[in-house]
Amino acid sequence: MTRSISPALKAQRVLPGFRLTMGFTLLYLSLIVLIPLSMIVLKTSTLSWAQFWSAVASPRAMASYRLSLGASLVGAMMNVLFGSVVAWALVRYDFPAKRFMDGLVDLPFALPTAVAGIAMTTLYAPNGWVGRYFHALGIPVAYTWLGIVVVLTFIGLPFVVRTVEPVIQDLDAAVEEAASSLGANRWQAIRRVILPELLPALLTGFALSFARGLGEYGSVIFIAGNMPMRTEITPLLIMIKLEQFDYAGATAIALVFLVVSFGLLLGVNVLQRRLRK
Amino acid sequence: MSIELRAITKIFGDFTALHDVSVTVPTGELVALLGPSGSGKTTLLRIIAGLETPERGEVLFDGKEATHRTASDRRVGFVFQHYALFRHMSVFDNVAFGLRVKPRRERLPEPAIADKVHELLRLVQMERLSARYSSQLSGGQRQRVALARALAVQPKILLLDEPFGALDAQVRQELRRWLRRLHDEIGITSVFVTHDQDEALEVADQVVVMHEGRVEQIGTPEEVYEHPATPFVYHFLGNVNLFHGRVEGDKVNLGEFSMQLPTGAALDTPQAVGYARPHLLEIELQPTGAPQFKATVRHINAAGPMVKVELVTGSGSVMHAEIAQERYRQLQLRKGVPVFVSVKEMKVFNAPQNMLGGGI
Amino acid sequence: MNGPSLTEPRFVRWGLIAVTLVYLGIFLVIPLAAVFVKALEKGVGVYWAAVSDPAALSAIRLTLTTAAIAVPLNMLFGLAASWAIAKFEFRGKQILMTLIDVPFSVSPVISGMIFVLLFGAQGLLGPWLVAHNLKIIFAVPGIVLATVFVTFPFVARELIPLMEAQGSEEEEAAVTLGANGWQTFWRVTLPNVKWGLLYGVILCNARAMGEFGAVSVVSGHIRGMTNTLPLHVEILYNEYQFSAAFAVASLLCLLALVTLAAKSLVERKVRVGKEAA
Repeated sequence: MTRSISPALKAQRVLPGFRLTMGFTLLYLSLIVLIPLSMIVLKTSTLSWAQFWSAVASPRAMASYRLSLGASLVGAMMNVLFGSVVAWALVRYDFPAKRFMDGLVDLPFALPTAVAGIAMTTLYAPNGWVGRYFHALGIPVAYTWLGIVVVLTFIGLPFVVRTVEPVIQDLDAAVEEAASSLGANRWQAIRRVILPELLPALLTGFALSFARGLGEYGSVIFIAGNMPMRTEITPLLIMIKLEQFDYAGATAIALVFLVVSFGLLLGVNVLQRRLRK
Repeated sequence: MSIELRAITKIFGDFTALHDVSVTVPTGELVALLGPSGSGKTTLLRIIAGLETPERGEVLFDGKEATHRTASDRRVGFVFQHYALFRHMSVFDNVAFGLRVKPRRERLPEPAIADKVHELLRLVQMERLSARYSSQLSGGQRQRVALARALAVQPKILLLDEPFGALDAQVRQELRRWLRRLHDEIGITSVFVTHDQDEALEVADQVVVMHEGRVEQIGTPEEVYEHPATPFVYHFLGNVNLFHGRVEGDKVNLGEFSMQLPTGAALDTPQAVGYARPHLLEIELQPTGAPQFKATVRHINAAGPMVKVELVTGSGSVMHAEIAQERYRQLQLRKGVPVFVSVKEMKVFNAPQNMLGGGI
Repeated sequence: MNGPSLTEPRFVRWGLIAVTLVYLGIFLVIPLAAVFVKALEKGVGVYWAAVSDPAALSAIRLTLTTAAIAVPLNMLFGLAASWAIAKFEFRGKQILMTLIDVPFSVSPVISGMIFVLLFGAQGLLGPWLVAHNLKIIFAVPGIVLATVFVTFPFVARELIPLMEAQGSEEEEAAVTLGANGWQTFWRVTLPNVKWGLLYGVILCNARAMGEFGAVSVVSGHIRGMTNTLPLHVEILYNEYQFSAAFAVASLLCLLALVTLAAKSLVERKVRVGKEAA
C-alpha cells in the first residue's frame, strides 16, 4: 500500500536555515531598498501629467540630459579605446612598474569621489599642472564640458579594463596560432579573430562605464562650474531642486533618469546574451 | 539495522527518476545498486540517506517509519562520489567532525575523540597522514578518509555513492577488495551504488539491477549473472550472444537449428530472442547430431585463462565463444576454420520492440 | 612569451606600452600625486593643523561610526542572502539577484533623495517623526541609512558566485554527520568563503567611508555634527582653504591606497578558492 507524502514532508529541504535566511533577506531588502525606492514612484504619482512633463522636459532639464548623456558617452568611448589597450598591455606585456599600475587601475573604485573631484579640478584649472598647457592652447578644461569628460573618464576607467582583462587572459593561444598558420598577419589576426572575442566584454565595460558616468555627482560638481543650461549635470539639477524643496520636480527627473539607466543595463544584458551565442 | 523501501516514486520537474521502487536490505548485508547512468540508483541512495524526499512511498529502518526523519536524524554514514571532504580541515579534523558536532550531553571529551579518530584512521590505514589536507591526498586516500569520517559517528547504515568511480583501474581493484574485507570485519548494513558490473558482482551479497527508474532484478551475484530475469539484465551483465527465432510448440526455431524451450519460459509472442553467454557455446569440428549451427573462426584471442573465439555465422552475424585452453589446443583452431557450434544452455525471451544486433 | 608570429612587432608593443603608461599616468598617477603635494604645500604644520582640527576630528569620528554600522549590517545581509540563494532552489532567484544589484546602478543623489522623500520634514513619515521628536534626515541616522543603501550589494555580490561555485556537497556531508544548521554554517561554509567575505567587506568599507553624493543629500552639512570626511573636504574647498582641503583629502587617499593593497592581497586567495572548488 502506498501513502501519499504529506505536504509538510514535500516541502522539506535537506539543508537547514532556508526560511530564516530567506526571511531576513527579503525583510532587509524591502526595508533598505524596495520601500525607499518606491517613494519615487509614489511621489511622481502625485503629479499630474502636465506637471510631470513640465519638470521633466523643461529647457534646463533637457540641457542637463544632453550634458550628462553626452559627457558620459564620450568618457565611456575614451575608456573603451584606451582601456582595451591598457588591458592588453597589462595582460600580454612586461614593463617597468607594471604591478604598480595594475593595482592602481582600481583607484577610481576605492577613492572617494569628492577627493577625485578636487584633485582633478586643481590639476586642470588654468594654472594647474596639466591645465596650464591646455589653457595656453586656448582650450579651457576646468569649468567646461571637457572637464566633465576628463573626470568621467577617470571614474569609468576600471570598468572597461577589469572587464576586458579576464577575457584577454582566457584567450586560447591555439586560435591565434591557427590564424597565423593560415597566413594571417598579426593585424588581421587581431582584427578578425581576437577583437570579435573581446566584443562582449568591451560592450559590457562600455555600458558599465557609461552608466556609472551618468549618475556621477561628487567628482563632477567641482570641475563642472555648474552653470545651468551650460555645465549643469542632471544629478546636480536634482540636488538643487531638493534644496528648493521642489520634491516633485526632483522626483520626476529622478524617475526618468532611473528608467534610462535601467533600460540601458537591460539592453546591454540582452545584447550580451545574444553575442554570447 | 535493516532497510526497507516501499513503492518509492521520485519526480524531478517532469522527469520521473524512480517508479514505484521497492527494495529490502537485510541487516548486515552489503548490497549493490547496479545500473547505467540515469537508472535512478543514486537518487534511491540519497532517499535512504534523507538527502532527497520521495513524492510517494516509505522508507523504514528496522521496520520503523523513517520517511519523515531529517538527514541528520537518520544516523546514516554517507560517502559521496567526490568525497566531499571539508577542504579547509585536516584529515584528523575531518574524521573528528561528526564527533565534535554532537549535542553537549552526547559529546565525548577531546582526548576520547582523538582516540577514536586515531583508531579509525588506523582502520583505513591513513594514520600517518592525519595532519594532511585533502588537496594533498590522492583519490584513493581521500576515499578512505571519507569512509573513516562516515564511520566515526557509528552509523547503523553505510551508504556509498560510486565510491570508486573517480579512481584508476588498479586502485579500484584494491579498494574494492578492501571494502569487502572491511565490511566483513565490521558487519554494518551497507548499500553502494555503481555502474560497474564487475564491481557489483565481486563485492556484493545482493545485487539490485536498475534501469530507467525501475528494478529489473534483485538477487545474488550468481543469480543475476546466470539467471537474468530480463533482456536488460542479460545485456548489462557480461557478454551475451543473441539468437533470433520463432516459437514452435515446445521448441524455438532459430533457423539452422531448433532448441528445446527451457521449462518455465513464459512467451506470449511467436517472435523470440535467445541469449547465451560465451562460455556456454561449445565448438566441434564435426557435426555431433545435437542441434548445431555452422560458423567460421574469424579471430582468436588466446591470452588469458580462457580463449576467446570470434565466430561468423552463415548469415554474417558475429558470435563470441569462450573455451578452455586445453579444449583450444585439442581442436587446433585456426583463423578461417569451419566449425559446428552448439549451445549448452539458452535463455529465451519475447522479442522486445527495438532489437539490435544479429542472430542466426 | 609567445612565438614571433603570435606577438606584435616590437615598435607596436612599445607603442602600446607607452600609451598605457601615459594614459594611466595622466588619469591615475598625477591626480594621486597632486593630492599629496597640495596637502603638504604649505608645510607639515598647516597639514597637521588641518587634520587635527575639531571639525575634522568629528568628521573622522562620524565617518568611522557610519562605516562601523553599515559594513557589519551589509555583511550579515550578504551572508544570509548568499546562503539562501546558493544552497537552495527556488523560483524567482534571478529576480532576487537583480534586485540586490539595484543600489549599484542608482545615482548617489537619487540614493539620498529617496530617504529624504521617506523621512524628510515634508516626506511620508515626516510629520510622525517630528511629532516624536526623532530626526533622521539632517542627522546621523539618515547618513547611516543612505550609506547602508549605497553599499548594500557589495558583500552579497562577492559571496553569491563564490558559494555557487563551491556547491553544497560539503554541507550535505556535514548534515549526514549530524550537524545542525548553525554548526554546518559556522564550521563548514564560513571557513570556505572567508577570503571572499573579506574581499567584499574591504570594498564595502571603502565605499562606506568615501560616499559623497548620497550623504550630501541627507546630511544638512552641519559642521561638527553631520559632516563626514568627504563632506568636510567639500566644505573646506568651497571656502578656498585649499591646503586644508587637500590635507583631509590625503587621509582619504591613504585609505584608498590601503584598500587597494588589501584588495590585491585577498584577490589572489579568492581566485585560488574559486578554482579549488
